[in-house]
Amino acid sequence: MLSRAAERIYWTGRYLERAENTARIVQQYSQLLLDLPEEVGVGWSELVRIVGATDAFIASGKPDTETGILEFLLADQDSYTSLAYSVLMARNNIRNTRDLLPHEAWENINELYQETRRSLGPAAGGEDRFEVLADCIGECQKLSGILNGTLSHHGPYHFLSLGQSIERADMTSRIIDVAAAYIQHNERLVRRYGSSLWTNVLKSVSGFQMYRQYCQPQVEGVRVMGFLLCDEAFPRSIRYCADSARSSCTKLPRAQATRAALESVKALLRPIPADRVSAAEVTALMDTVQKRLGDAHQAVATTWFLHEDGS
Amino acid sequence: MVIGMRLGQSTYPAGDFYDELIASDGSPRPHAAKLADYFSNMQPDELIARQRAVDKTIVDMGISFTIYSEGDNIDRAWPLDIIPRAMPGDEWNRIEAGLVQRVRALNLFIDDLYNDRRILDDKVVPAEIIDSSRNYLQPCRGFSPRHGVWANICGSDLVRGGDGTVYVLEDNLRVPSGVSYMLENRNVIKRVFPSLFQDHRVRPVSEYPTSLSAMLQSIAPPASADRPEIVVLTPGVYNSAYFEHSYLARTMGVELVEGGDLLVGDDDCAYLRSIDGLTRVDTIYRRIDDVFLDPEVFRPDSMLGVPGLMRAWRAGNVSLANAPGSGVADDKVVYSYVPDIIRYYLQEDAIIPNVPTWRCSDPKHLDHVLAKLPELVVKPANESGGYGMLVGPHATRKEHEQFRALLKEDPRNYIAQPTLDLSTAPTLCNGALEPRHVDLRPFILQGENVAVTAGGLTRVALRKGSLVVNSSQGGGSKDTWIVEADR
Repeated sequence: MLSRAAERIYWTGRYLERAENTARIVQQYSQLLLDLPEEVGVGWSELVRIVGATDAFIASGKPDTETGILEFLLADQDSYTSLAYSVLMARNNIRNTRDLLPHEAWENINELYQETRRSLGPAAGGEDRFEVLADCIGECQKLSGILNGTLSHHGPYHFLSLGQSIERADMTSRIIDVAAAYIQHNERLVRRYGSSLWTNVLKSVSGFQMYRQYCQPQVEGVRVMGFLLCDEAFPRSIRYCADSARSSCTKLPRAQATRAALESVKALLRPIPADRVSAAEVTALMDTVQKRLGDAHQAVATTWFLHEDGS
Repeated sequence: MVIGMRLGQSTYPAGDFYDELIASDGSPRPHAAKLADYFSNMQPDELIARQRAVDKTIVDMGISFTIYSEGDNIDRAWPLDIIPRAMPGDEWNRIEAGLVQRVRALNLFIDDLYNDRRILDDKVVPAEIIDSSRNYLQPCRGFSPRHGVWANICGSDLVRGGDGTVYVLEDNLRVPSGVSYMLENRNVIKRVFPSLFQDHRVRPVSEYPTSLSAMLQSIAPPASADRPEIVVLTPGVYNSAYFEHSYLARTMGVELVEGGDLLVGDDDCAYLRSIDGLTRVDTIYRRIDDVFLDPEVFRPDSMLGVPGLMRAWRAGNVSLANAPGSGVADDKVVYSYVPDIIRYYLQEDAIIPNVPTWRCSDPKHLDHVLAKLPELVVKPANESGGYGMLVGPHATRKEHEQFRALLKEDPRNYIAQPTLDLSTAPTLCNGALEPRHVDLRPFILQGENVAVTAGGLTRVALRKGSLVVNSSQGGGSKDTWIVEADR
């Protein structure tokens, strides 16, 4: 398999997953702000920090308002972290690998692309935001379903899975980071609204039912974070994603460096102690998780993409 | 049975031009008798229904082409007429021999031009024609590819004039395209008209990918492994022939690569970047133009090529098909010398004649061309795809004046030919069968051996009276049948 094709399909997986999770994070955060009283002082700019785009946002010159920030995160095709950009890039990558992918994937990404071009601008302004984001999540899942359900398990499939797993792990770490904002901002508030806020976090990754069925019936902050970090069976937990990325690697040649990088991600994943956990500690841990996932990505690129400059 | 007789009130109006299927008295030519019978028994609504079935099959099979002016729309369904264009087998045998002769002579010619230049010293072809050609590439001097063959894949355009004579209109020795459509046209017609093939003995075309693959193996560097690594090099998805690049790679079972997928190492060998690491490449079937091949030697701004590729080629470590510099022989001025070239190298007369050609570089010829411009077809020496030409009888007076100015300014770059009464073939137009002008592009492969497709790609000018068959300018296509005589 050509390095170029591997790279494009890997990025198809990443951008597809990033699009879905960007929609999830924005949806979750919108919900959070509706639940919290205004005096708590949690603002939209926190969301820009969580997706790691503070500098890019300042450079974009957009106003630091709900609409400005959501335009930046949803509709702005020039912003590398926007939902629209992820869809555009997924489409470009699929277009250039059409020979390797099922035909329906190309049709589907085109529909999603046209749809997001129409609806994301108004959604940033508030119009039908929840419906638009829910549709987006649904369309991304449909496309993932097409690819996972019809692509033979050869090279292209493994690179798609690898990209999806690494991106999903990264995005889950960011969702945990959103959750940390709960703790940070008001312990009294958490005591009062506690379980409904954490329920919201779980729902954002469609994990509420699985948590209750397989973890415990009570929704508690540290347990929810532990579930998202290191549950072995929930497909959006970081642990599960790292395992899944590792198993994609076993099907690919020369995978030692990537496997090692994924092991060092897994080494970070331990349940969070119930007593005295601070938001700052959670944020720091998530930063480390994201950095090691970045190392795993670097290993993938160096091993298989073979760029001129070795990057 | 006369074709089209039952289509409403109209009769098939054969006779104005040489028709491929119907003689001037309205009766089918012998090789097309059963074909004419089959279609004349069809009602108009059935013909239209079959055309729809063909169109739908083409969309379902994803047979597409690209027109550059259409921006983001990179796929257009390929236009295929339902009525095959048939030629008798014994006529084709002679044409095939003529094509083999022509390609052999052209390759001897190119090899001579880049090495001894005997034909120029012997003044059979004027040296200034070659030395002023922008397709004569200095970096190719003093080199000879395997078997001495430069143009491994040649597409020569054939036309038939009013008296039934078949001429070579031009040779395409750089990156000729269209063969995938020849193959797919046959697949589609087989699907939609399976019973037609039971009644005819039509020579198959499907072995082309195998022949192409065998040819590409035969030119691999002698040192390469038993199974040489072959790749198809494309400029990418936005190229008008991308469908074909992808089709040929798929049917040969080789990788379709872009420039960035290849690299040339310090050892002057070509490598493929793959998930297994860097792997050696032996033969590159390149579908990008000479000047984009290697930014170290040609255009430094080329993003399509591979730095160092010419080094690797000259070192004999990788073969390129076609070899760079082959285009020197498909210059339309050089074309006018091909009968002399054949005689010079093979001591034979050309089996297939050239269309009579005036070279504007010759002052006497130029005077004639300027005087007779409204009757002539004028072509630039180095364009393809039907771009930049003038069809005198169909052009306005203003266009005539523009071309007169162009010819005086740059005579070396133009040739002129009489406007041929191109032959026609019955074509379904708005529910009726009407004559439309056609040409034919066979494909000739030369490596260790020579192979010719049985027939080729028939292109048809869909607009009434038009002579322009290029798909980028509203042309369509037909399945081409070489029909064996009944025994």
